[in-house]
Amino acid sequence: MRSLPVALIASCLLGAGAQAADREFTEVVRVICDEFHTRPTSIPMFGLVNLVTAVVHPAGTRHIDLAVFEHLSDHDRQGRNLPESILNAVGRSWKPFVQVRSRRDGHEETVFVYMRQEGKEWKLLVTAIERDEATVVQLLLNPDALARWLASPENSARHWHGDTD
Amino acid sequence: MKTFMKFAVAALLAVLPLAAQDIKMPVGLDKLAEKASEVVDVSLDGALLQLAGRFLSEKDPDEAHVKHLMGGLKGVYVKSFEFDERGQYKESDVEELRAQLRSPAWARIVTTRSKREGENAEVYLKTEGGQIAGLVVIVAEPKELTIVNIIGSIRPEDIRDLGGRMGIPKIDIGPIKNDKKDQKDKENDK
Repeated sequence: MRSLPVALIASCLLGAGAQAADREFTEVVRVICDEFHTRPTSIPMFGLVNLVTAVVHPAGTRHIDLAVFEHLSDHDRQGRNLPESILNAVGRSWKPFVQVRSRRDGHEETVFVYMRQEGKEWKLLVTAIERDEATVVQLLLNPDALARWLASPENSARHWHGDTD
Repeated sequence: MKTFMKFAVAALLAVLPLAAQDIKMPVGLDKLAEKASEVVDVSLDGALLQLAGRFLSEKDPDEAHVKHLMGGLKGVYVKSFEFDERGQYKESDVEELRAQLRSPAWARIVTTRSKREGENAEVYLKTEGGQIAGLVVIVAEPKELTIVNIIGSIRPEDIRDLGGRMGIPKIDIGPIKNDKKDQKDKENDK
């Protein structure tokens, strides 16, 4: 009898992880890998995060694909035009929504946000690049979260970490 | 004849995207981005505007009004630059954009200049067949430059109600009246 809950949990974990990221998410991750000659940081138990996300919907998010890059260095860079490479990787099926590039107090950050409609649902593809780290996130949002993004795109992009925290 | 048709179709397809995006953000603005401490680009096309409109309540009078306004819009594009210091951009940086707005379809309807605040705002209106087809607002402050391009049916005074939403800054453009200087410029051009 004990094996049933274990099997259920395992299948949920596998199911959550099995919802493959869109090709464009993978492409953007590849662009950053190629540019900085690095790999995304491994996030243990990320399938569990998505399982919780699918049930609890934190900040209106129903599914997350996430790639985090740490310890990026300019020395390792290939020197390509990163915004252009990301735009090419994202392709035409995603709509450019917001781009914020900030250089304040010696801290540089660029956030690209793209949107795509799939049936009744909308997905957000967010790429944030700082001096020594980068994050690529694909979010499936519920209507309330989407409304917040649309009401104030620039502020949502500036503080987008808050939506996934 | 077939070859001619192919060329004609190709030429039409090449022109259509230009007609859709209407005003082109000048390449010179990209250079300006290098000096800015913050650059924000917001693009909301028709589908996103319709979606945004769905989230506004009919019961709240303000939201219902904005929802009604958004129903007539086909696109909202905002580009803003913030600078750490004064004088990091020049009037000439916006000149390429102003040149596009000197075409017959566009008329500058408002110019406000505040010597104390150093804030200048210009509102340009596009009409097609007697109908308002678009609006461009250029707001220039000593350390900030914002360009708002709205495609669709919107009255200039409605820009106030859209301020603070969809990346559009709150703009006080004062009372709306025809900009006589612009009309005189156009007469001189003729």
